[in-house]
Amino acid sequence: MTSFQQTLGAEEGVAEELAETQRAISIAEFFEKNKHMLGFDSGARGLVTAVKEAVDNALDATEEAGILPDIYVEIEEVGDYYRLTVEDNGPGITKEQLPKIFGKLLYGSRFHVREQNRGQQGIGISAAVLYSQLTSGKPAEITSRPKGADRAQYFELIIDTDENEPEIRAEEETTWDRPHGTRIELEMEANMRARQQLHDYVLHTAVVNPHARIELREPGLDEPLKFERATDELPAETDEIRPHPHGVELGTLLKMLKATDSHSVSGFLQGEFTRVGKKTADGIIDSFRDEHFGRELSWSSPDSHEDADVRRAVQQAVSNKGKEATADFADRIANVLEERERMSYHELETIADNAADAVEEEHPKAFGSTVRENAVEAVWAQVTGDAAAGDDGEASMGDAEANLDAETRRRADVYALIDDATSDRKDDETLDGLARRIAEKLTAETGPRDRLTLDELEDYVARSADMTEKQGDGVSIGDTARENVIEALWEISRTVPDEPPKVRSLQDDRNSASSLLEGMRSVDVMAPPTSCLAPITDGLIEAGLKKEYDADFYAASTRDADVHGGDPFIVEAGIAYGGEIAEEGSVDVMRFANRVPLVYQRGACATTDVVKSIGWRNYNLEQPGGSGIPNGPAVIMVHVASTNVPFTSESKDAVANVPAMEDEIELAIREAARELKSFLKKRQSMQQRKHKQNKLGEILPEMARKVAEVTDQDEPVFDDALARIMNNVLIERSVEANGDATTVSVTVENNSDRSESPKLTEIVTAEPRDVSDGASVTEMDGEYFLTWEPSVGGGESATLAYEIDGDAEYDLQVDGVEDPKLTVSE
Amino acid sequence: MTADTRLNEAEAREQLIDLAADIYDQMNAGDIPSMTIPTRTKSNIEYSEEEDVWVYGDRTSTRSANSVRGARKLLKAVYTVDFLAEQLDQDRSSTLRELYYLSESWDNDEAQFNDQDESNQLVEDLEIVTEVTREDFHMRPEESGAKVMGPLHLREQTNRGDREIHCQLDVGQGGYQIPNNPDTIEFLENDAEFVLCVETGGMRDRLVENGFDEEYDTIIVHLGGQPARATRRLTKRLHDELDLPVVVFTDGDPWSYRIYGSVAYGSIKSAHLSEYLATPEADFIGIQPEDIVEYDLPTDPLADSDVNALESELEDPRFQTDYWREQIELQLDIGKKSEQQALASHGLDFVTDTYLPERLEAMGHI
Repeated sequence: MTSFQQTLGAEEGVAEELAETQRAISIAEFFEKNKHMLGFDSGARGLVTAVKEAVDNALDATEEAGILPDIYVEIEEVGDYYRLTVEDNGPGITKEQLPKIFGKLLYGSRFHVREQNRGQQGIGISAAVLYSQLTSGKPAEITSRPKGADRAQYFELIIDTDENEPEIRAEEETTWDRPHGTRIELEMEANMRARQQLHDYVLHTAVVNPHARIELREPGLDEPLKFERATDELPAETDEIRPHPHGVELGTLLKMLKATDSHSVSGFLQGEFTRVGKKTADGIIDSFRDEHFGRELSWSSPDSHEDADVRRAVQQAVSNKGKEATADFADRIANVLEERERMSYHELETIADNAADAVEEEHPKAFGSTVRENAVEAVWAQVTGDAAAGDDGEASMGDAEANLDAETRRRADVYALIDDATSDRKDDETLDGLARRIAEKLTAETGPRDRLTLDELEDYVARSADMTEKQGDGVSIGDTARENVIEALWEISRTVPDEPPKVRSLQDDRNSASSLLEGMRSVDVMAPPTSCLAPITDGLIEAGLKKEYDADFYAASTRDADVHGGDPFIVEAGIAYGGEIAEEGSVDVMRFANRVPLVYQRGACATTDVVKSIGWRNYNLEQPGGSGIPNGPAVIMVHVASTNVPFTSESKDAVANVPAMEDEIELAIREAARELKSFLKKRQSMQQRKHKQNKLGEILPEMARKVAEVTDQDEPVFDDALARIMNNVLIERSVEANGDATTVSVTVENNSDRSESPKLTEIVTAEPRDVSDGASVTEMDGEYFLTWEPSVGGGESATLAYEIDGDAEYDLQVDGVEDPKLTVSE
Repeated sequence: MTADTRLNEAEAREQLIDLAADIYDQMNAGDIPSMTIPTRTKSNIEYSEEEDVWVYGDRTSTRSANSVRGARKLLKAVYTVDFLAEQLDQDRSSTLRELYYLSESWDNDEAQFNDQDESNQLVEDLEIVTEVTREDFHMRPEESGAKVMGPLHLREQTNRGDREIHCQLDVGQGGYQIPNNPDTIEFLENDAEFVLCVETGGMRDRLVENGFDEEYDTIIVHLGGQPARATRRLTKRLHDELDLPVVVFTDGDPWSYRIYGSVAYGSIKSAHLSEYLATPEADFIGIQPEDIVEYDLPTDPLADSDVNALESELEDPRFQTDYWREQIELQLDIGKKSEQQALASHGLDFVTDTYLPERLEAMGHI
C-alpha cells in the first residue's frame, strides 16, 4: 500500500495539471471555486470532511506500517471556531516529508497507481489544511513522533497560497505520551449541524475497519464514543498491478506505446499489461490483424473432376521448367487442393511454396518467385471461377456466357453458405439474387486476394441485401438474416499471416492503434489479479457488524473480483437483522468505497439504487410498493473495493452507476440476503414448531389423562409419542440389571427427515466397560465422561452401549441439536 | 353390524372403551395416536352385491395426533367416548345437539366442539370405528318428525313401560310417531298391502284426509325431507320383517331423487349403516319426469343448481340404472320440475283417485 508517508511519486496527476492552469488566479481562489467538489462547501460539511480525510490518512499510515490503528478524534469549541484534533499511532513523519504531505495542495502519488487505497487523489488532507487556514487564519499544528525517537517534533505549517508552497512557521521539540504517531490540529470555521453524519462516519468506519480502535469526543457528547477492536488481523497488503487490456483507453494506449521499450506488439502486450501471456498476445494480434489487414475469404476447393483444370492451369502458368518438373509441381498443388475443403489466397501461396520447394529438391530446376506467383494466380482463378471469365485468351468462351460464369464458383459458394445461414422460408430466387450480388462485389471490389475487413464485408452484405430487396417483389431480408450471412462469410474467412506493424509505427498511427485496441477488447482475457485489492472479507464484515449492532442474525458475502474499465473491483455486502436494531423506519444502508464510509449524496449512489431495486418483501422486510429502501430492523452494508472506484464527483460521496458494478453489488447483497432468508425461514419454522409443540404439550397430557380415566389405568407415558410427532431427535437411556453388572444403552432416534449429529456427554459415577464403538471415556475426579458424536440419518437410530458394576448415577448432556427439536428422556 | 345384531348397553360401552384403550396403548408404546376411518365421499362408496346396498370402499383417512388439528380431533373423540360411556353406564340418553352444548362444560377448551356439524360428524366417526350405532350410544337426533299411519299393530318399549298401539285406531290425525330407536318396536299384526313413503307433510296429510290408507291398506310413512335414520330403519323393518313392498313418493326434482336414493340404497354419510338402514327393494313411484309430461303438470324451470344436481346424479354410482338415466336425461331435456302437490291442478282427489292407483297398477303393486 502506498501512502503519503513513503512514496512521493514523480508523475504529475491530472488534478495537478488542473491546478497549474488555475495558479494564475491563486490557489485560494482555486479552492474557493472547487470547494463543493472537495466536500468543503459548508461549515457543517467541512468539519465532517476534515475528520474524514484525517482519519482516512491515519488508517492508511498505520496499516502500512503494520500497526493496528488506534485513532483519537476530538472536536472542541474554541471561541467562534472549532478545533479538530486527530491522533494516530502510525510510524510518524520526518520533517522533510511533512510539508509536502500536509502542505502542498493536490500533491499525491496515488492518482495513477492501480492499487486499492483510501484516498485516490491526494487532495484530501491538504485541502483540509487549506480550509482551516482560509477560514480561521491559523496554521495547522502537527506533532509527530517517529518510532524509536525520544522526543516528538512540533510544527506549525501554513500554505503560501500564491506559490502553493508549504511553509513551516514554528518548529520545536516537545514531549508526547504516544510512543509513535502523528497528531494534526486544525482550527476552522465550522458548526456541528452535521453531527449525525459525523457519528455515522465514525460508526461506519468502525464497522468496516474491525481492526481499528477509534475514539471520538465532541462537544455534544458527555461520554466519548469508543469503538473497540474486533480483530487483530490487519487488512491484507496489496500489490500494484499493470493495466488490464480491457481497461485502457486510446489515449492511454498511445502513451504506453510511446513509453514502452518493446519493439514488437506481442512484446509490448506481454510486457505492459497484466494477464497477457504469449497465447493471449497471439489472440490479440490475430484479432488486430483482422482489424488492420482484413481477412481473406476462402472458397471451396475444385472437385476431383476439376483436377484436370487445376493441373492444366498450373502447367500453362509455368514455362521453361521441363515437362517432368512442371507436371510434378502441378500434381503436388492439385493433390493438396483435393485434400482441402476450402482455400484462401494466402493458404494457396503456402501450398505453392511448399510444392515448389519439394520439386526443387527432386528436379534440378529453380522455381523462383515469379513462377510461384504465376502458378498461384492461375490456380486461384480456377478456385474463384475467374478462369472461366477468360482473362487469358485460351480459356475464353464467348462473351455473354463468360460474364455469367464470371462469379460462378464464388456465387455457388456464397449461395450454399447463405442458404445454410438463413431461414428456410427465403425463396430460391431471393437467395440466388443475394448470392450473385455479394459475389459480384467480392470479385469487383476486394482485389485479387479476396481480402476484406469485417466492416467492408458488412457493407457488401448490406448493399447486396438492399439491392435484392429493391429488385425483388415484396422480398425482405431482415437484420437477423443479414447478421447470419455476415457471420457465415466471416467464419470462412482466414486471418492473414502478415506481420503486424511494429510498435514504433503504431505510436503515431491513431487508426492502427485503434485497431489494436479493438483487438485487445475483443479477446477474452483473464480478470486482473486481485492482489491489488484488500477486501474486508465476509468473516470480518460479520465481525464488524457484530461489534456495533446487537442483532439476531448477521450475514456477509464477498464476491469474486470483476473488472470495470481494466480496474479490478470486489463488492462485498453484509446484513444485520433483528435484535436491538430499531423496527421502525427504513433500514440503514451503509456505503463504503475502499473502506471509506460514504455519508453524503446517498440518493445519487449506485449502491442505494441497487438496494432500492431489490424486492425486500421476500426477506421479511417491509417495502411499500415493492421497491425503494425497505423498512424494518435491518442494516445493510455494501463495500466496493477497487483500484479506481468510479465516483460521481471529486468529493467521492457516491458510486457512479456503472452496470458491471451494479450487477456485482446486487449479487453481493442477494448472496447475503439469501442467508437472511433461510435464517428467517428457519426461524419461522422453529416458531411454528414451537407453537405446535406447545399446543400438543397441552393436548396430549389431557388425552393421556382422559384415556387413563376411561380405561381405568395409570396415565400413559407419551414423551416418545410427542418426540415422534415433532420429528424430534429422541434420546433415551435404558438401564438393565445384568447380574451384578448393569447394562446401559443410550439410543438416539432421529425422527426428522434430515441427518443429525448430536454431541452427547454422559457422566457416570462408575467406570464404564465394554463401551461401544465411536465413544471415548475420560475420567475426572471419580466421574467418567463418555463422549459420543454419532451421525444419525433421518428416520434412523444409533445406540451407545456400556456396562458398569453395580449401580451408578447418570447425567446426560446433549449439544448440537436445536433445543426445540430435542427430547431427552432419562 | 347387521340388522339383527343388537347390542346392549354394556356391550356398546365395552366397544367405546376399547377405542380409548387403543389410544392408550398407542401412547404408551410411544406411537403417534391415531384413528383410521373410511373416507366418506361419493367416490369411496361401492355396491355390495352381498347386501344389495352401497357401502364404503377401501379408501381410508387417518385422524392422527401428528398435527395440532388431528390431535384436537382425537382429544374431542376421547372426551366424547368418556361422555358416552358414562351415559350408557347410567342408562341415560341425549340428543346430538345436547352433546354439542354439553362440550361447553368440559374442563378443556381444546376438547370443545366448534359447531354441531363437528360433533355430529364425530359421533358418526365413532359409530364407524366402534361398530356401534348411534342409537346404541343412546344418542338421538333433535326430532324425528316422521309419522306412520296405517293398518299396523305394534308394541313399543318406552322408558315408561311397554305400550301397544294400532297405527290407525289408536292415533289421531297426525299418526304414530316413530321413536328414535325403532328397534324398541315389536310388530304385532298388520293388514297392510304395501308401504308408501311420502316426502312432504302436505301430501301425507292429503292422503290421510282422503282415506288412502284405509282404502288401499297402506302404511303411509312420512319422510319429511331427507328421512331420519329412525324412519329409514323402520321402513326397512316393515319390508324385511312383514314382507311388505315399499314405494317412495316424492317431488319431481333431483333433490327428491336423492331422498329416494337414501331410502333405497343408503346415504353417503351413513354408508357404514347401509345394511341396517337401506331398503334396496323400495320402488320409486313419482313424480317421474315422465309424469310431468304425461299428466301435464304445472312446472317450474330447472335452476342451474338443479341441472348440476341432475348431472352429478348421472355420475352417482347409486343411480347407474337404465331407468334413472332415462328419467334424468328426459328431465334435463324438458328442463322442468314439478312438486307432488302440483297434482292438485287436476283436483284434490286426483292424486288418490287417479295418479297413485294408475302408478301402483303400472308397477304391479295393486
